[in-house]
Amino acid sequence: MEMQARRYTPVATLAGRGTAAEFKKSLSGVAVGAAGVIHALGDGEVRVFAANGGVTRAWKAPEQAACLTVAPDGRVLVGVPGRVEIYGAAGNRVGGFSVGESGKQADVTAVKMFRDTILVADASARLVRRYDANGVERGLIGNQHKTGSFMLPNRSLDIDVDSAGVVYATDTGRHQVTSWKLDGAPVAAFGRFGQAKPEDFVGCCNPVNLAVAPDGCLVTGEKAAARVKVFGPDRALLAVIGPEHFDSMCTHIHLAVDSSGRIVAADPVRRTMTIFGRS
Amino acid sequence: MDNHPEGCGGGAKRPLWPLILLVVAFASSALFAQYQKKPPDFGGIYSFPTPTHPEPRGIVLLSLDVAMLAVGLGLGAYFVLKRRSRNATLLLSIAAIAYFGFYRKGCTCPIGSIQNVTLSLVDPHYLISPGVIAFFLLPLIAALLFGRVFCGGVCPLGTVQDLVLLRPMNVPRKLDRVLRWIPFVYLAVVIFFAGWGLPTVTSSGKEIVLRRFLICEWDPFIGIFRLSGPFHMLAIGAGFLMVGMFYGRPYCRWLCPYGGLLSILSRVAWKNVTVTPDKETYCGMCADACPYGAIHDYNADRATCVSCARCYECCPREIVRLRREGIPAKRYVSVPGGRGPA
Amino acid sequence: MSETNTRRKFIDTTCRIIGFAALGGVGAVLTTRASAHAVFQVDPLKCTSCDLCRTSCVLSLSAVKAVNEFSKCGYCMLCPAYMDVTSAPNEKGVPSGKVCPQDALKRRVVGKEDLDDPNNNYYEYSVDEPKCTGCGKCIKACKPPFGNGSLRLEIRYDRCVTCNECSILIACPEEAIVRVPAPGLSPLLTQGETANG
Repeated sequence: MEMQARRYTPVATLAGRGTAAEFKKSLSGVAVGAAGVIHALGDGEVRVFAANGGVTRAWKAPEQAACLTVAPDGRVLVGVPGRVEIYGAAGNRVGGFSVGESGKQADVTAVKMFRDTILVADASARLVRRYDANGVERGLIGNQHKTGSFMLPNRSLDIDVDSAGVVYATDTGRHQVTSWKLDGAPVAAFGRFGQAKPEDFVGCCNPVNLAVAPDGCLVTGEKAAARVKVFGPDRALLAVIGPEHFDSMCTHIHLAVDSSGRIVAADPVRRTMTIFGRS
Repeated sequence: MDNHPEGCGGGAKRPLWPLILLVVAFASSALFAQYQKKPPDFGGIYSFPTPTHPEPRGIVLLSLDVAMLAVGLGLGAYFVLKRRSRNATLLLSIAAIAYFGFYRKGCTCPIGSIQNVTLSLVDPHYLISPGVIAFFLLPLIAALLFGRVFCGGVCPLGTVQDLVLLRPMNVPRKLDRVLRWIPFVYLAVVIFFAGWGLPTVTSSGKEIVLRRFLICEWDPFIGIFRLSGPFHMLAIGAGFLMVGMFYGRPYCRWLCPYGGLLSILSRVAWKNVTVTPDKETYCGMCADACPYGAIHDYNADRATCVSCARCYECCPREIVRLRREGIPAKRYVSVPGGRGPA
Repeated sequence: MSETNTRRKFIDTTCRIIGFAALGGVGAVLTTRASAHAVFQVDPLKCTSCDLCRTSCVLSLSAVKAVNEFSKCGYCMLCPAYMDVTSAPNEKGVPSGKVCPQDALKRRVVGKEDLDDPNNNYYEYSVDEPKCTGCGKCIKACKPPFGNGSLRLEIRYDRCVTCNECSILIACPEEAIVRVPAPGLSPLLTQGETANG
């Protein structure tokens, strides 16, 4: 058993079974806003959690909403098939725009913001689309691959963007996390398929989710041996949060990292969120 | 175990509701199509194949089965009662075993249909094929009209036993009388297991009431038609064949539950194999010829007679009649080990 | 005596009429009940790929085959149903062992093939039915979370003899074989569609 450079332990659980905030049908996304306020998408609505686990606000989200993120100014963006809907911090809808080519309903599996740029993961086109603040598409990210797109056998693309504007995307079919500049120029790719080493990604399509930590670390979520890995800025493996914390049937683990480096992991099978802190 | 499909509601009336079920199924599949993640787009050069689903045996072929059965029964009645020809009946039974036995692999059969009928009467939701209803009724109607022509001319199980019959031997009448109750006991057991069944525990630990189709599980000759089978079935089949070499049609006389039903109806048949008392010469050749002991005291026992036409073939009066009509008749050779009237 | 004869004839005729009436009544009742040609099919939501489909069918080569629902298939290069992902990798890093004991799961590249980096290829997976024994190993390996769950076991009607009592139905521990009206329940759900986010 290798010594891990870091250890993470669960410090809190949100929306657990039996609590008032319990998700009864689905939990499909989690995001952390300013001051570490946790937003979650599930049961057809967006819920905002207080530090003690209570729900401070909730509003109805469109059907089939698959992902959400919190903008720097507090607005909440929700990804829906073919569209991104924008809500104010109080839950009022303030705008939205359609995603993808007309006639082809884009499968929006992740949405993130960097300053004024909105990045939308389009799993059906297998690319990341870049929009400006008005919802006008400005470019594509991921088409400078050899195959012109990401390889997504599990039909889901997760992205995140760090403070320098580098976009990270899960290339699950290639078992890699690829990083790109906002204009689409490739930066780096790390990760590979393997069953033996802990830093390798197992199975047919992994990692399925990722999140960027403020200190430059990269957090990835895997399925089939559901676990979360933390890679350092040099992409060395720092920690593994083992399968004992997640349901074995998970095909996703939705991730978010708050400003103090705590990892929020949402288990869509058990429909709970666990916050992991460094110990 | 409840043998009814998922999703069927209250009193099913006409066969319209399976169509409705299919329509609902397709409609909900359209709904589910919305929720499915889209398959990858390979750039237009690749079109997604759909998995093939071969069709089950169509209605035309199913109707053909019923038609063949009806024709077989009609021809059986004609060959036995009108033409009185053993050869024709034998050829008919060989054609029937080729079709119902080796081509259709012995399934569907009227013997097994007892189970389907029982289950359908007990459970109104159990799907019973119209073909199976016909397979159940047609030989019974033929029995009411012409006797057990199904047994002699059509049934593949009976034909198998007929074909291995070498030296028919006599069974003492008292023993025969006792053995002839077995089909009715078996019938009661079969009906119980098909309609109600016994509680069992499945290999995953669940307790269920398991209905079993005993006739299908213990069919002695199905292994011959399928050319394979579990050891116990092949062994029982071989056992019956060995007995059948010396005692004609042991399964038909002493076990077949459908034969039990046929024997009851055959007693009151409209036209049946008869030994006409005012024409016969008391030679006893017919009783000699009958391997099944169905002729006693110069009377054909309608319940036991399986309409095989052996008695007609050997009757001297019959040979005389055929000669008079100019039809060449094979001289009947006396059965070795023959005995007097049983 | 003629009197006995007439009485017997009368009894016979009466019994015959009762017989016809009984048969007619039974026939009428049966026809108005659930009258439909029925076939057997595997419910993929209950199936646990226990290998009993391979051994319980009355046919020596089971009528149950694996079927790939192409629209749900991931077309993965590292298909967990095709290759045994725990086996030793070859020089390209691809696991060398196969899951199917009969090698009945075949694949071909879709689109332009990248010979240098197989990770860049999508593959179409299909089942070679004359080889498939219905053991279900590939189905088990394809189930979520390992795969998309596009493979399922299906009773193929060009092989199934539609026994009165399906011996697989009796053997199945999960009661996953259902008797449905023809043309057969085409499975609508595969395990890939769950409430997972």
